[in-house]
Amino acid sequence: MEMLRVENIVKQYAGHKALDDISIQTKQGEIFGLLGPNGAGKTSLIRIINQITGPDAGKIYLEGKELQRSDIERIGYLPEERGLYKKMKVRDQAMYFARLKGLSKKDAKKKLDYWFEKFEITSWYDKKVEELSKGMAQKIQFIITVLHEPKLLILDEPFSGFDPINTELIKREILQLKKDGASIMLSTHNMNSVEEICDSIALINKSKLLVSGNLQDVKSRFKSDTYAIQFKGMMFGFANALFASYSLEHSEQIDEHRAIAHVKLLKGNTLNDLLKTVMPVVEIEAVNEVIPTMNDIFIQAVTEDGLPQQKGGQDE
Amino acid sequence: MSKLGLVIGREYSSRVKKKSFIILTILVPLIMGALGALALWFGMEEEKHLRVLVDDPADLCGGKIFIGQDENPPATFYFTDHVEDDDFRYSEVYKDYDVKVNIDPDVFTNRTILGYFREQPKASTNLYIQKKITGRLQEYFAEDEGVSAAKFREILKPYEFTLLDVDDDKDKEGEMKAQMVGIGFSVMIFVFLIVYAGQVMRSVLEEKTSRVVEIIVSSVKPFELMLGKIVAIGLVGLTQFAIWIILLSVIMISIQGMFTAQIDAETVQNIAAGAMDPEMMEMMNNDNAMLIYQQINWGTLIVMFLIYFLLGYVLYASLFAIVGAASDSETDTQQLMIPVMLPLMFVYFISFSIIGNVDGLAALWGSYIPFSSPIIMLQRVATGTVDIYEVVISVLLLVGTCLLTVYLAGKVYRTGILMYGKKASWKEIIKWLRH
Repeated sequence: MEMLRVENIVKQYAGHKALDDISIQTKQGEIFGLLGPNGAGKTSLIRIINQITGPDAGKIYLEGKELQRSDIERIGYLPEERGLYKKMKVRDQAMYFARLKGLSKKDAKKKLDYWFEKFEITSWYDKKVEELSKGMAQKIQFIITVLHEPKLLILDEPFSGFDPINTELIKREILQLKKDGASIMLSTHNMNSVEEICDSIALINKSKLLVSGNLQDVKSRFKSDTYAIQFKGMMFGFANALFASYSLEHSEQIDEHRAIAHVKLLKGNTLNDLLKTVMPVVEIEAVNEVIPTMNDIFIQAVTEDGLPQQKGGQDE
Repeated sequence: MSKLGLVIGREYSSRVKKKSFIILTILVPLIMGALGALALWFGMEEEKHLRVLVDDPADLCGGKIFIGQDENPPATFYFTDHVEDDDFRYSEVYKDYDVKVNIDPDVFTNRTILGYFREQPKASTNLYIQKKITGRLQEYFAEDEGVSAAKFREILKPYEFTLLDVDDDKDKEGEMKAQMVGIGFSVMIFVFLIVYAGQVMRSVLEEKTSRVVEIIVSSVKPFELMLGKIVAIGLVGLTQFAIWIILLSVIMISIQGMFTAQIDAETVQNIAAGAMDPEMMEMMNNDNAMLIYQQINWGTLIVMFLIYFLLGYVLYASLFAIVGAASDSETDTQQLMIPVMLPLMFVYFISFSIIGNVDGLAALWGSYIPFSSPIIMLQRVATGTVDIYEVVISVLLLVGTCLLTVYLAGKVYRTGILMYGKKASWKEIIKWLRH
């Protein structure tokens, strides 16, 4: 089931285009990673989905219906640049934000109690935010984002500024919210967490969508027919045997007699062909296909912007 | 509750609960009341009847000073042929006299009168002594020339002198005095505009620098947020006025209650006059006070004050909101504020330059142009020289400009509040307006 559909969004600021014909789609109950370097246009897109700014062209659909003003009550948003009123008490502040999201006083109080008890922070209720540490304030911000039980959670760089303990806590909560049925869109630079928790991704660079889709699909699209072969024997002989039909991308000596080589298949050769070529020269111990990490994909896609067009481009 | 209501509620309650608000709101009337009571108290302390010894060897005063029937003299005069200054100073015989005045036999030629006091008499008593003695000397001189004292007093009686505009025969002097009251209101509006509009700016900036703004605008439209702020702070201002007026009235009434048993109205007037220079005191007589009270329509003036304060506040608050939204720190605001403050300062000075010329072109235009009308129009209203249609035009122009500036401020605001880390220039602000 579709959760969010972004169709041909264009956003132009005085002097530059922030989003150029961006279309993405997320499914209900999945964690969707919105990736891209700084200035790519992620925050612009997120602000449009949150109706903080409007697009110059394009449409957005939430659960199949065009986005309405009232839908902001179904979205929870944790901005990258986030803060709280320093002089306001934690309880008053959380109640204020909850009521802005359409909760009644009674509901807001009940849900606030639930989260504060869960995080064991009820003693903070009457503290002013300026008395809290940064980590404490971040927990409050997270609670404020999820308090009204949004169907769609949009988290812009949710892990930035969090210490490792809070990062883990937030990660756990995100997975729990997903289990409870929420759909989550998160923008992050933290590629490890993308690998860990995202189901789908979209990669934006210079205001254009480079690639999008299921995480595993994207990864397999970025596979380059490269295999890691661990062998016993001489590297010199191994390299010579490859000749022009394969390319030795990378090699590493494990000990005096053993090494691992990353070999890319060329000219329509298969793994079988490769093995046949090198088996007479060395003794093979293990063979694995090299799957690119999200980090590799990110760097490759961004530095060679346009390269994955023939693969990822079809998604646009 | 609507979102706008929630925004107003938060902004209002967070402000009126602030210690600074509570202290200022309660302290200002208390201090004013205390100062008033203190002035009255000091006045009463000094209300000592003086005995004046007039050393008049040539008998130029004829041994008497004329005291009017209705007068409540602060001093009594006693005459002597001659007493040495040192005797006055040291001798037990003269210790009951507070002041000694020496009338030189040659006073008509050297025009000098010297006297001594034991304790500095207050200005009004000093003036009284001076007036009585010089008056008496003049009478003596007149009598010498064959004019009776009674006739001479009649000759000296002041004339009421007024210059009227040939095209408009209203009383200009009274008008000017009424205008002074208007200026009081102008200054109040000027100060309150800066104070409250400045609060809007700081509130915008606070939300921006604390980065809370993006969380809020994901629930509330930026325009609603800005409007909520302007309305809430305006209400805070009105709350403060209301509390001040109530507290001041209570304090005034209780002070009056405390003192009326001991002093009559004239004493109060004397005390008030004591603080002014002799010329001002001359001006301040009952007639003037009555003129101001009768000429000025206080009810209209207060209603006009509220209307012009609120509209002027909305106008300048939206301009200050632009400055807040375009800045990234308190220091940025100072530079951006210049183009907003300059016209306001200019208008403030204009409001003083039109004293006595409330029908002039500057006052006329100033009371129509929306950026100056909240400050200038009240002076014209106070003098009663303005027609109702003029007020209507001026208010309509102001309302129109308010709507326009709020709309434009909303455009700048929604872009500005999400621009972190840099101060926008006015050039960029204009770009945002066009976008």
